Amino acid sequence: MSKVQVMNGNMAAAIGAAMCRPDIIAAYPITPQTPIVEYLADFVIDGKLDASVSEVESELSAMSVVTGASLAGSRVFTASASQGLSLMYEPYFRASTLRLPVVMAVANREMISPQTLWGGPQDTLSVRDAGWLQIYCEDNQEILDTMIMAFRLAEDKNVLLPINVCFDGFYLSHMAERVEIPEQEDVDAFVPKYVPEHIKLDPKKPMAVDPLTNGYLLAEYRLKHMMAQQNALKLIDEIDEEYEKKFGRSYGGAIEEYKCEDADYIIVTMGSMTGVAKDRVDAARAAGKKVGLVKVRIVRPFPGDKIANALKNCKAFGVVDRNVSFGWNTGIIYEEVCAAMFRNNLLIPNVPFIAGLGGEDVTGEHFDYAIDTVIAQEGNADKHYTVWLNREDKGI
Amino acid sequence: MNQRETIELLARSEDQISPGISACVGCNVELTLRTCMQVMGPNTIFAIPPGCMGGVGVVGWDKQSGAKIPVFFPLLDNPASMLAGIKMHYDRIGEDVNVVAFAGDGASVDCGFQALSGAAERGDKIIYICYDNEGYMNTGYQRSGSTTKGAWTSTTPVSKDGRGGKKQNKKDMPMIMAMHDLPYMATMSPAFIPDMVTKLEKAKAVKSGLVYLHVYNPCVTGWGFKSDESIELCRLSVETNYAPLFEVENGKFTLNRSLDNPKPLADFIKRFKKFRHLGDEEIAALQELCDSKAERLKNLASL
Amino acid sequence: MKYVSDYIVPIGPEGLKIVNTGAWRTRYPVMDTEKCVKCGMCFMYCPVRAIIRKEDGSYEITFDYCKGCGICARECRVKAIAMENVKEGDE
Repeated sequence: MSKVQVMNGNMAAAIGAAMCRPDIIAAYPITPQTPIVEYLADFVIDGKLDASVSEVESELSAMSVVTGASLAGSRVFTASASQGLSLMYEPYFRASTLRLPVVMAVANREMISPQTLWGGPQDTLSVRDAGWLQIYCEDNQEILDTMIMAFRLAEDKNVLLPINVCFDGFYLSHMAERVEIPEQEDVDAFVPKYVPEHIKLDPKKPMAVDPLTNGYLLAEYRLKHMMAQQNALKLIDEIDEEYEKKFGRSYGGAIEEYKCEDADYIIVTMGSMTGVAKDRVDAARAAGKKVGLVKVRIVRPFPGDKIANALKNCKAFGVVDRNVSFGWNTGIIYEEVCAAMFRNNLLIPNVPFIAGLGGEDVTGEHFDYAIDTVIAQEGNADKHYTVWLNREDKGI
Repeated sequence: MNQRETIELLARSEDQISPGISACVGCNVELTLRTCMQVMGPNTIFAIPPGCMGGVGVVGWDKQSGAKIPVFFPLLDNPASMLAGIKMHYDRIGEDVNVVAFAGDGASVDCGFQALSGAAERGDKIIYICYDNEGYMNTGYQRSGSTTKGAWTSTTPVSKDGRGGKKQNKKDMPMIMAMHDLPYMATMSPAFIPDMVTKLEKAKAVKSGLVYLHVYNPCVTGWGFKSDESIELCRLSVETNYAPLFEVENGKFTLNRSLDNPKPLADFIKRFKKFRHLGDEEIAALQELCDSKAERLKNLASL
Repeated sequence: MKYVSDYIVPIGPEGLKIVNTGAWRTRYPVMDTEKCVKCGMCFMYCPVRAIIRKEDGSYEITFDYCKGCGICARECRVKAIAMENVKEGDE
């Protein structure tokens, strides 16, 4: 019997991580992620978790301690957000190129400047090409469940990559919801012990880690890294299915399709905004509009073919981004979706939306407007503009 | 450990570094590295961050290693915290492994200082050896926080009429690290190998926190002197009190060599091309600083 | 794709990378064993460990990796080591 508790997203992340029994944890406080570190420290002092914790002096050292520990063979966990993630960038990139299955929770937070501390995935999306896997969650139950799936995915022999489990700061990190906690023994069975074979610093079996490497060989490592990302794309669906069998909950794997089968118009979302978006999809359906929704769960690897397949029969779609892609004048997920559509030879009218920057609410009205805008876009394949949903003039 | 015992130990223990690494001819850092790792022995994992020893191939090339023991290439700014993670792992599984950094002054007193200071404060059980050649030698000698005042470097050039050079004093890293209340801090010199070996043995025996060892290594190529003078100039740095040999064990300062009757600092300074433009006044100022630091050290050792 | 490495990460488990530093030499040390007092200074200070101590306690200069820095000659207190120039055609 699993337990049910009301908890915020940070607690869900902490419990999910703790249930996977990390050996070594290192993290540095930053709003809105700080409580994760505190919860884990409490679990350890209360004897609920047997882990060694390093109270590091910065995020750079947080990532460095866990990469060092992972290189020696430990299962590791860390958490951060925003500026903290930026400070980590150097060892962050390296954790992936050394193929260390570091699991890291990120309570997504907008990037400075101006000074801000509210939610938004600009932080992790800006480092999406650093070789990590990145999953984005919609609610607190998904955070806990994804954390458990994340260790499995990261440590799989065909993947061996670090992973970010991302969730919107405050909207999820600090908001309490009903969450089911699985049984420890079931989690133990689902996440086997981590035994590294591909890289290890051990006097009993000496090897150099990171010798100076020529470009030809480097390219080969990059290629293998890319293939591991593609392996993860297959595996996330399989793990999701297995998780459903064992724990009774599924998130669709790489993407979630909501009322897409017969949809003429589809809204693409990611993260916590998805809940209200589904509500407005239902309302549009009730009003006779054939609307559906695709929730992007995994951004790296990007499930381009799955998304294109979900969108291929619609008459128009829109992508709502809580982030910007400087230089494109749109959001980041929009550009990724467009690339996927092009690769699948699909030219379908669409609208890029930007909403909720700096932690602003993305409201039902925003989605109603977005849905109507997408419907009106039908037939306008060569008309391109970005709609800013939180501006009175919509910024069209 | 006396000289006979030291030679005995070195003759008996295996060199852990590849016999052919491309350190400059006469490089006393190469000697320091070989000596340190020989004493550390096979039960060791060590880190070589970017810098001379990384550049000369100690981490290896492609699929080959530059050392017989596990070696890795941390980032310039994180050797101490990466090592801390490794040590935490071995502590957890109950294996006693020497986890050692061999880092230049750039990686230690500048870029990696935060990680080092943090690890020192937390008491991470690593041995951190800093080879201080007063600058970023591997990239062609740019000034670091450890460069002596007045020195020519490629980023503190000197004009034809003798103006320029570094404007600030050298960061006093051994003293800064000593003030972290470490279980053990010591300075070493490749001219005093028995003293170095004794200190390395002590470092290995420490189980209660971070050990910091600071080695002063005049650089053949960057500072401008002949390769065969390499050890002689290391010796002179100690004999002039410019790089005194001392150790601090749990707060107790001990001088390993008397600071009385030092040779004039000018004897040392004038041997290097990088100080050639300095006038008597500037050398006198360096002498004054050297004297006051020696005096302070004597006082600390008398406590 | 044909791979040149069996590994998925940059590791170096395949033996030592050895640079032929002996080829750098422009000078080489010559030891006068008559003068040598077996103090071991040359052994202790050789940066490349090119000087080895033999069973009988004497020392021998080896030339596989000697870079010809001259430290051994300079540090020898009885001047038992002299540096000589490598001539064209020398091994």
